[in-house]
Amino acid sequence: MNSKDIILNSLRTAGAEQFPRPDLHALEADAMKYDDPFAQFCSAVKAAGGNVVGLEGSLEETVKKLYPDAVKVASTVKGCTGFNPDEVATPGELDGTDVAVVKGEFGVAENGAVWLQQNFRHRALLFISEALVIVMDKKALVNNMHEAYLRLGEIPTGYGIFISGPSKTADIEQALVFGAHGARNLTVIVI
Amino acid sequence: MNKAAAKHLKDKSRTQWQDETLWIVRGKRDNLSKQIPEWEKLRDAASALKLYSNSHLPELLEQFESNAVRNGAIVHWAKDAKEYREIIGGILTEHKVKNFVKSKSMLSEECELVPYLQSLGIDAVETDLGERIIQLMGQKPSHIVLPAIHVKREQVGELFTAQMDAEPGNYDPTYLTHTARRNLRMKFLGADAAMTGGNFAVASTGEVVVCTNEGNADIGTSLAPLQIAAFGIDKIVPDRESLGVFTRLLARSATGQPVTAYTTHYSGSREGVEFHIVIVDNGRSRILADRQHFKLLNCLRCGACMNTCPVFRRIGGHSYSYFIPGPVGTNLGMTADPKKYKDNLSLCSLCHSCSCVCPAKVDLADQIYAWRQDWHTSQAKHAISSGMSFVMKHPALLNAGLKVAPVGMKILKAFGLKWGKGREMPDMKK
Repeated sequence: MNSKDIILNSLRTAGAEQFPRPDLHALEADAMKYDDPFAQFCSAVKAAGGNVVGLEGSLEETVKKLYPDAVKVASTVKGCTGFNPDEVATPGELDGTDVAVVKGEFGVAENGAVWLQQNFRHRALLFISEALVIVMDKKALVNNMHEAYLRLGEIPTGYGIFISGPSKTADIEQALVFGAHGARNLTVIVI
Repeated sequence: MNKAAAKHLKDKSRTQWQDETLWIVRGKRDNLSKQIPEWEKLRDAASALKLYSNSHLPELLEQFESNAVRNGAIVHWAKDAKEYREIIGGILTEHKVKNFVKSKSMLSEECELVPYLQSLGIDAVETDLGERIIQLMGQKPSHIVLPAIHVKREQVGELFTAQMDAEPGNYDPTYLTHTARRNLRMKFLGADAAMTGGNFAVASTGEVVVCTNEGNADIGTSLAPLQIAAFGIDKIVPDRESLGVFTRLLARSATGQPVTAYTTHYSGSREGVEFHIVIVDNGRSRILADRQHFKLLNCLRCGACMNTCPVFRRIGGHSYSYFIPGPVGTNLGMTADPKKYKDNLSLCSLCHSCSCVCPAKVDLADQIYAWRQDWHTSQAKHAISSGMSFVMKHPALLNAGLKVAPVGMKILKAFGLKWGKGREMPDMKK
């Protein structure tokens, strides 16, 4: 018998007590909802060390105002020029990118998380740059993680990630530091 | 009291510092949980979901495998720690891996992966900052979420001066973290393979979900030409809907944040990169068959039980003999090898705080109590109780004993009665 069969057999013959799948509808209906989800979203992103801003001119101008010293800006979003990160052959070559601009699908008010799908070639783009800019529709917001996962549904759509705030750690004497291994800085631009 | 705990407690200021630090983490968890009116309902749901998943593993595991394979992953099954090591070692040697980066995985500690890979000539680098500090110090983690919580900034500073390019005498946590960022960035760029654990494995979609703050798991797996994710069978959850419950509880319980910086859904692989998934038993199916202890596998590995435990907070994780410390570790150790780890049972005041904070409602304190009923933890206690029953059966002896007691207690104290150490022994009234 191979190990898979050994394990499954061991589980099947255990005679463990069977428990039913709980119905989550009541909990999901009762879960926290916000009168002003956008305000809550902004406050949650800020608490996680990020920032939410609106457009100040064009998208390109907004990014320039936020990061005036940035030299290498990678953009996967129309309306913001920078170099095209898809043209780079290997993800490692993206090291040294100052700002990466990507699209967010929707935000979660309770915790400031934004769901992103990989609609660009190298997923490293999300972690390797010094700063990350997520461009998101201001109206694309859900209240909480129940609504977020129900919105995503049960069909896998390839790699995806919730990002809430810049990379951080408190591993040295519980002192909070931003920019552990991922982006040091995060801005959500809502349009 | 065990020797490690006694040694730890000798340094009173350090004991106090660690106690205060962990209590702050517990406080953060409280603040966030109080902001959610439905917090207790979330705990009930998490417990119910875990009990359901863990009692339907055969069908859920097969569903997971089928979906993961359809997404393009290669799935392996490991019945024990040895097989886990050999599968991963095999994948790495087949791909001629020399430089290997990994993110935090208590399963890898359980199965002793890193020393094994090093014996194969593979440079295995921990990339979580706390784990890397511990690795460079030659120590084991003292907490499952905050592995270097027992380490002071001066120690990290000296370590990074010796092992990285930190300037001597600079103990600022921001400076030191960014030193490690530069150093580990080179490791990520040069890695031949990257591995993560798994917080949740979703049966309906075949995804492996990893919840982190640092970005090390994410950057490592997005750069290396080979990816591995390994997790225990108890990480299976039925669907994404259940993740709504778990992701609302996990970070709030672990670190007092509403959510981790990254909640990554690994599904399929990158272009030209193999994605290997290893599903591990290593005693979990045996625990699930145990009527008294199966609830232990509800555990989300958040560490909240450690942060609240009044004993853990004062003695620290290294005072426990099992690789996972605190209330959950004490219980897991007993299911692994009761004879070897029974001493941990005495590191408990039965206050039940752990059971109250556990997001998945593991009955931690009740399980410790049940183990104590089965195992005698102290020979002296046994001798006292059998001695007492002899005296009670012989009233003359009892009366004589009571007359002698005031003097007797003084004599016992003078001889350093072991059971009394750390407790205030009463003076007997005349």
